[in-house]
Amino acid sequence: MKQLFDMIFQAEFLSSVIRITAPILFAALGAVIAEKAGLVNMGLEGMMMIAALFGTLTSYWTQSWVVGVLCALIVGVLLSLMVGFFALKLKTDIILAGIAVNMLGSGGTIFLLYMFTGMRGNTGSLVSQNILIPTVNIPLIQDIPILGQILSGHSILTYLAFFFVFLMWMLLYKTPVGLNIRAVGENDHAAESVGINVRRIQYIALAISGALAGLGGAFMSMYYSQGWNSGMVAGRGFIALAARAMGQGEPVGTMLSSLLFGLAQALRTKVSALQGVSSYLVSVIPYVATVLGLVIYAIATMRRVKKTRRARSVPAAAEEKK
Amino acid sequence: MKDKRLLVFEMVRGAAAILLALCVATIFIFLCSDEPFTALRYLLVGPIVKDSGGFNTASFYTILAAMIPTIFTGLATCVMFSAGQFNLAAEGNVMAGGFIAALCGIYIKMNTGLHAVVCVLIAAVICGLIMLIPALLKVKLGASEMVTSLMLNYIIMYVVLHFLNYNFADRSKGSTQTFPFQSTAQIPALVPGGSKLSWGFVVALVFVALVALFMYRTRWGYAIRMIGINKSFSEYSGMKVGGVIVLSQVIGGILAGLGGSIEVLGRFNTFLWKELPGYGWTGVTIAILAKNNPIFVPLAAFFIAYLNKGCMLMATYSDVPSEMIDIIQAAIFLFFAAEQFLAGYRQKIVVRNTQADLAKLETVKEGEA
Amino acid sequence: MPQDEFVVQMKGITKVYPNGIAANQGVDFNVRQGEIHALMGENGAGKSTLMKMLFGLEQPTTGEIIVNGETVRLTSPTVAISKGIGMVHQHFMLVPSLTVAENIVLGMAPKKGLFIDYKKAVEITEEYAKKYNLFVDPDKRVMDIPVGMKQKVEILKALVRGAKILILDEPTAVLTTQETEELFRELIHLKEQGYTIIFISHKLKEIKQITDRLTIMRAGRSMGVYETANITEQEISRLMVGRDVVLAVQKDKAQPKEPVLQVRDLEYTNEWNKKMLDHVSFSVRRGEILGVAGVEGNGQGELVQMLFNLNQPDAGTATVNGKDIIGMPQDKIRALGVSLVPEDRMTYGIAGAATIEENVISDRVSEKRFNKGPLFNMKAIHEESDRLIKDYTVLCKSRQQKVQMLSGGNIQKVVVAREFSSDPELIIADQPTRGIDVGATEFIRKKLVELSRKGAAVLLVSADLNEVMELSDSLIVMYGGQIAAYFEDTSTLTDEIMGEYMLGLKRQSDEEIRRVCHEG
Repeated sequence: MKQLFDMIFQAEFLSSVIRITAPILFAALGAVIAEKAGLVNMGLEGMMMIAALFGTLTSYWTQSWVVGVLCALIVGVLLSLMVGFFALKLKTDIILAGIAVNMLGSGGTIFLLYMFTGMRGNTGSLVSQNILIPTVNIPLIQDIPILGQILSGHSILTYLAFFFVFLMWMLLYKTPVGLNIRAVGENDHAAESVGINVRRIQYIALAISGALAGLGGAFMSMYYSQGWNSGMVAGRGFIALAARAMGQGEPVGTMLSSLLFGLAQALRTKVSALQGVSSYLVSVIPYVATVLGLVIYAIATMRRVKKTRRARSVPAAAEEKK
Repeated sequence: MKDKRLLVFEMVRGAAAILLALCVATIFIFLCSDEPFTALRYLLVGPIVKDSGGFNTASFYTILAAMIPTIFTGLATCVMFSAGQFNLAAEGNVMAGGFIAALCGIYIKMNTGLHAVVCVLIAAVICGLIMLIPALLKVKLGASEMVTSLMLNYIIMYVVLHFLNYNFADRSKGSTQTFPFQSTAQIPALVPGGSKLSWGFVVALVFVALVALFMYRTRWGYAIRMIGINKSFSEYSGMKVGGVIVLSQVIGGILAGLGGSIEVLGRFNTFLWKELPGYGWTGVTIAILAKNNPIFVPLAAFFIAYLNKGCMLMATYSDVPSEMIDIIQAAIFLFFAAEQFLAGYRQKIVVRNTQADLAKLETVKEGEA
Repeated sequence: MPQDEFVVQMKGITKVYPNGIAANQGVDFNVRQGEIHALMGENGAGKSTLMKMLFGLEQPTTGEIIVNGETVRLTSPTVAISKGIGMVHQHFMLVPSLTVAENIVLGMAPKKGLFIDYKKAVEITEEYAKKYNLFVDPDKRVMDIPVGMKQKVEILKALVRGAKILILDEPTAVLTTQETEELFRELIHLKEQGYTIIFISHKLKEIKQITDRLTIMRAGRSMGVYETANITEQEISRLMVGRDVVLAVQKDKAQPKEPVLQVRDLEYTNEWNKKMLDHVSFSVRRGEILGVAGVEGNGQGELVQMLFNLNQPDAGTATVNGKDIIGMPQDKIRALGVSLVPEDRMTYGIAGAATIEENVISDRVSEKRFNKGPLFNMKAIHEESDRLIKDYTVLCKSRQQKVQMLSGGNIQKVVVAREFSSDPELIIADQPTRGIDVGATEFIRKKLVELSRKGAAVLLVSADLNEVMELSDSLIVMYGGQIAAYFEDTSTLTDEIMGEYMLGLKRQSDEEIRRVCHEG
């Protein structure tokens, strides 16, 4: 046990938590904005996979990681617009449209990789250090002992992921587009009655959601796994949906629940090196935590409803006595 | 007669969706292959036609064998989707069912015949109980069954892997797997040869009939379907809505558990899955293709298994990877489930029908006057 | 009277909906600059349709709309807003989690660079609130404010968008007395500043209190325009409430026996803190039809919900043959012999995508005669559904046809076929003939009489005065969540008397009302 604690409180471990959280956070923020517009983006998983592949490929072709990241982002946007087209225009159930994207993500990527390069299953030999997303040291902070080790030396995209929490909050709560997105998600009739183009807003929210999934994918293939492989995303898109649910759909709450997933996953990597602790059981923690989180949230909501009902029947009864 | 026209339209629309998906596949094949015609031949007719031209019985049996788990997951998804429950945990329950059946096959001693049945039943019951979790959370607390069932898949996977690795692994083998089942637990083959077509296929077809009977010929299946169509109506009619929602998911769990256990006992002699096998997701595709009607599940399962086999052959004998199947499936999925796909034509039929009805009414009125 | 005095003129407006219902027929409606004009009429008289056309939500089939002297085509609310017309809907068009200020500037938010200038939004809100005496709390979220304030937010929303003509659709329906008083002060203030207000209502006292002129509608036609000061409440009531065609239903005199349904002191306060049921007590006896008359929204809907456990009252009891049914599951209520023809037939009455057969058996699938062991007895089910289709003359191709493909009248016949055929002790019929064709209407009314004469107790809730007066043996009138009157014998009742009670001009004494309990 002591061994475990020693490990957890190492700077290197906490730094790895941040690194592992980043891709989940990207996708979870994607889930947040889609859901704020009243849409479930079930296809985050597949979008990450496909964007990750295109990110790696274009960075190889152009030998520029910047182009790779941009391409991944664009692929994410295009896929989410496709989901939008089928769900909003052709009225496919949006969850089913998302599942279709996930199918494309799991098998279609292998196909595409083969089509473009003749390689199967992973991009191993295509990747070289110069086309990976570079890490950056933050001046001043990097010199602080321990804290510097934890916070500094991450990739640009890692910082971006956490910065996006703030950006997402700004977007949703401080900009006209965010206001419209929230209005559309909550009461589309009200939005329509003041001349907001509901369909357009939904496409915008989906596009942003897809862009974030794309960045999450780029992070996975162009930094985290240093190349694309077929088992790479491994359910992070679904975890993102759960992280959003547990974070009650708010950017900061979602970040916290994403961190919880990151922590559990980092623990799992560490613990599997230990004797006598099952890494598999550690892996279960975030999923169980999500279910518990949902349960707690549901109970709290029910209590609140009951309380308001009681609150309004009490004055009515009191009035009567007069 | 006019309703028949709408029915024909629905079928044409389904066919159009499938054709469109195959067109997408063809485009991709032409884009990536140096020998597109060979690839297409293997994809479309390869699964049942030998290179020499005759009917390929062995290959046909493999297709049927591949249908066994997906028929069950397809049925499971049909039942749950019929009740309006977006439960996606068939995936995890297949793995749980397979693992539990494997353990029973290894550690319980029994006669041939009975042993396999007991293994499968135990697995099915436990999987049914597992589904109580998302079902009760939905009914009692209103927690989204979609999210909880997705999480459940991973929980099941890791718990199974934990027990597999730490408690039941056969350390003498190179890869992680259990000890072999006793021969009494294995589900016997239906036809000789390496097709892996076991008696499980017959059981699967029996369950298609049973589930169809259940859904369309019993009061519980009726309640499941009515709740899926209109929950308020069902409640007002006096149905136990909460109980039926739980029931639908428990049945889904049982069916998925059956699928997993029969697959493992019929195909392998040891448990060796190291990740979720993917049959749950295929089950979703099948349920969509079958429009949630159990009767059409074998057809849909055959179609998917056929395509799967075709893709595999295509990958073996030409330069197109087998993962083509996912692109085809995704395309079918998108168009098939699209309500508004070709909706313009549907609207025209409806309008024409209404006009005909009105005209008929007019003539009746005139006749009366 | 010079023409240019009118800010709104609607000339010869006819609106025929695709299903053939003519909601407005040759209606003329005009509003003077700076007046408060009431648009009155019973439910279904065509007021809402007329106003929807003025706000661009519907287009007239024929007729002309002139706003500020200019003939306009109001193709959407956006166009109507640009012509200076604003509407406050009965069901608020607000986003609950947004603040008051955000709701007010929604779709036209002031910007500072990329961001919303929230301070400006608050300023705008406060400026308008001050100018028009409509005090709201700009920073509160809409979900946290009382209904009265929500309404002010809606009015402000219209004003901020430049509305000079305000349409208020039954604005007082959701308000408490105090809130109503406040609203009236605000409306008068708006009027003083030159705004024109169209006020939809059927509450006579309110109309007399604040309007200048009024237009009365009945059955899709205008019954004329009057100066409020020159017309009495009784005259309004007579013009508004009245029957055009009296459909006589043949019925013998009722011979009521013991009470089946006994409702005592039912109380319910809705989620906006409005008392919808206030000490409601009555009994329905075997063999009689007890009508519940009243303008919609006076508690009838809530009453029915309570009796079928679709909602929970705050207090009170309701017993069927001595057993309390409050909070009882629907299958148990049905087992006591209660059946309900629900008001909202598409939500409760049918499963549209299911077949006719599946719809007519929904309450009896567990009965022994339809099951053989675990399986359905399909023969018995087919026979039952064919019999019901025949007995209730449901016009369809086969029992396998989907209910949603049927016409409104036939859908309702499917509902009553199920509800009337279970040998009910008590039938609750809530607006049983609303929006359906004459043939089906007549059929359902005859069936109700027939069943009551065979010994069922019938509670008939209807906003259709013709229906409730013709069918009922005795009758209660609901007003403001209370029973305002009980008439033991409906044969001597006149439309005028009914109107006075329905519109709250009169109320019987508690003793008179108490007689409906049939105690002692």
